[in-house]
Amino acid sequence: MAGCNWVLFEEDIERLNATLDVFLNETDAQCVLVIDKGGHLIAVRGLTDSMDTASLSALAAGAFASTREIARLIGEPEFSVLFHQGRREHIHVSLIDGDTLLMAIFDDQTTIGIIRLYAKDTEEEIARLFVEVKRQRQRGATVLKELGGARVDAPFRPA
Amino acid sequence: MSAINYASKEIYFKIVYYGPGMGGKTTNLQYVHQSIPQDNKGNLVSLATDQDRTLFFDFLPVEAIQIHGFTTKFQLYTVPGQVHYNATRKLVLRGVDGIVFVADSQWDKMKENVESFRNLEENLAEYDYSLDEIPHVLQYNKRDLSAIAPVEYMEFLLNRRPTRVSLFESIATEGTGVFDTLNRISKLVLLKLNEEMEARPRA
Repeated sequence: MAGCNWVLFEEDIERLNATLDVFLNETDAQCVLVIDKGGHLIAVRGLTDSMDTASLSALAAGAFASTREIARLIGEPEFSVLFHQGRREHIHVSLIDGDTLLMAIFDDQTTIGIIRLYAKDTEEEIARLFVEVKRQRQRGATVLKELGGARVDAPFRPA
Repeated sequence: MSAINYASKEIYFKIVYYGPGMGGKTTNLQYVHQSIPQDNKGNLVSLATDQDRTLFFDFLPVEAIQIHGFTTKFQLYTVPGQVHYNATRKLVLRGVDGIVFVADSQWDKMKENVESFRNLEENLAEYDYSLDEIPHVLQYNKRDLSAIAPVEYMEFLLNRRPTRVSLFESIATEGTGVFDTLNRISKLVLLKLNEEMEARPRA
């Protein structure tokens, strides 16, 4: 069923960021994102100043979901990697676990081989972290405890 | 699937606008995009055909109120309404927190409305989701046109589940009803998350 999938505490994000920093150091990729399959951005490291990371996440999740359906149509359960080659910038998207994706954006300072090699280690490490994170879904998150009342009647107000 | 990030102090939700083709789903997002202050919105991304029909989805990230120092962020999606795009329509529903069903009020669109609503229930079932659990509202759009069905008739056709849901009459091209709809569904998903959090044991 639908429901809250992620409760990430500061220590989780620190561990996630440390793992992504190792990936960036080893590969010379420009940036790396962790995205859930619903299109939410979970973490991002590297040079992303000019990038619309929210749209990138939504589109990458959509593209990955689309290739999964294509895989199914040709009798494959899933493609585990998606690679887009540009003139200067390239994108490598790979599965972390059943719910999340790792997206690396890189240029010709590195190679697809190096990205694939280190992506595999990074995916495994993050997958282990997420097993713990999902276990802590059972932990209470009190931030919304006092939610209610008039403030929530109109979360949005047009300009 | 909402997400709470204590490091960035953000809470994310995914809202999907569903309904028959040419019913006004994309127009809703366009109106929201043009009406929300610049600092509270991202780019409106549309994956559309050359004829401006939605091919995969439209996507608009927007920020709403803060709750106890956490920024609430809503990711608004539309699905392609045309019948033959069901494969992509289903993909967009993954991880949905709230649904706006945009129905076309014109008399000759009633069958398409009903079929689209059934299709929504079927596609949700494929993810083991159900409208019993996912907050949703109905929006009866194009109320400014002449050959439209009365609201009571549309209620009879579409609002038939054991628990009746909120309905909004709208003219999305003019913005009428657009924010009423968005505010209600946003409130519902916030309350739903609150309910889930309260049900959890404390750390």
